Amino acid sequence: MKEILGDILAMEEVQGVVVCSSEGEILFMEPRLEIEKSLPLFVRALGGIREADLIFEKSRIYMRKTETGYLVILLGLFASGAMLRLHVDMALPSLKERGKGKGLRSLFRRNK
Amino acid sequence: MVKKVLIVDDDQEMLLSLEEGLSKYDETFSISTAEDGLGAVDELKNSTISLVVTDLKMPKMDGFSLLSHIMEHYPEIPVIIITGYSTSEMERLAREGGAIGYIAKPFMIDDLAKRIITTLRKEADGGTLHSVSSGIFLQLMEMEEKTCTVRLIEKSSGKQGILFFLDGQLLDARCDSLRGEAAAYEIFSWDDVSLSIQNACPPRERRIHRDLQAILLDAMRLKDELRRLGKGATPGKKKPTPAKEKIERTTPVERVKQFLKKEVGEGYGIEDVYEDNSWESFVKGIGRLGAAFKAGEFRVAYIDRGDSKDFILLPGESVTVVAVNPKCARDRIMEALGE
Repeated sequence: MKEILGDILAMEEVQGVVVCSSEGEILFMEPRLEIEKSLPLFVRALGGIREADLIFEKSRIYMRKTETGYLVILLGLFASGAMLRLHVDMALPSLKERGKGKGLRSLFRRNK
Repeated sequence: MVKKVLIVDDDQEMLLSLEEGLSKYDETFSISTAEDGLGAVDELKNSTISLVVTDLKMPKMDGFSLLSHIMEHYPEIPVIIITGYSTSEMERLAREGGAIGYIAKPFMIDDLAKRIITTLRKEADGGTLHSVSSGIFLQLMEMEEKTCTVRLIEKSSGKQGILFFLDGQLLDARCDSLRGEAAAYEIFSWDDVSLSIQNACPPRERRIHRDLQAILLDAMRLKDELRRLGKGATPGKKKPTPAKEKIERTTPVERVKQFLKKEVGEGYGIEDVYEDNSWESFVKGIGRLGAAFKAGEFRVAYIDRGDSKDFILLPGESVTVVAVNPKCARDRIMEALGE
């Protein structure tokens, strides 16, 4: 999984990456963040939104719909949006492949 | 008129071989280099660059960020992307970001040179003039209601400047780190210039609000005063920077409209601005998520539902929504609203 998300994790401003199901269940998280309670509620509120880019006072949260849920990236305010979207576009097909066949949960290491 | 091309790449060997390989074209263009986007930003600020060739993956500031900086601050400068990490998606993003060329590494240096020369030629598609007085010539631009970009070099000092005309009106000027009227004063103080005319003017913010004649007269007066005082200071630097326009305090929607008009400009894909409290519970959810991530106060969100419109949400007593075209200048708008 880290291999697929390697380019995203290597970006200078990226502070964390989470892969979750469409119910918000965390399937991968690097590093560990205390978001188990709030993420499912918000993911359900997204209602199928394709992409959400949320800017806060100190950080930014980028969310992108995947075949099986959402890819959530926590990053600094000065990250390059275009470069991030590019890396996400490139990671999505591999995420899709990893999620196929044997069942998504059996392939992702759970960090909970 | 030798143009200056800025090459940006973190690979020093690549920079050296490009400098060496392109040196045979030094009658047409000269090369300056930077090892990352931040170095390029400095170079752009302090000299007059005609074209930028940049890698994408670089430390400190990558090629996309640099491209976005150039499109915002120097939209007249063409950018060619060179990358060793080429995909069709990346090319699409680079072109959407404003790049006029995209070359995958490895490439032949002569092919890059050909591309540079072809692009630079467009800078002078309206002709080139040598040893002219800028004042008289520029009044002709106004009289003929020309839309063009005029690049000038002062013969004695080699200083370069750019003037932007739309329908004969002087919109903006740039000379090293000077912008707007300050740059125009500097340029109009030059006696003997070579200039090239490009029959286009990229969309840009209007920084000059006075007519050309008045600025020309003031520039001459300042130049005479400085001469009398025996000072070498440039007229452009004497001009005080105008204070920022005060944004009128009205409704949140009006304030956002005024802010976007001022900071982003028109024609960047903004379709509508309105209040819509149906987003209220979603915006509260964003706030809770931000608290969980310890991200601080929620400022602005960009939402893509895969429809014909995307939405930018701004929190407040009521939620202010900016409806945008999915192909809008997204990063530019978000950057402005996020501050």
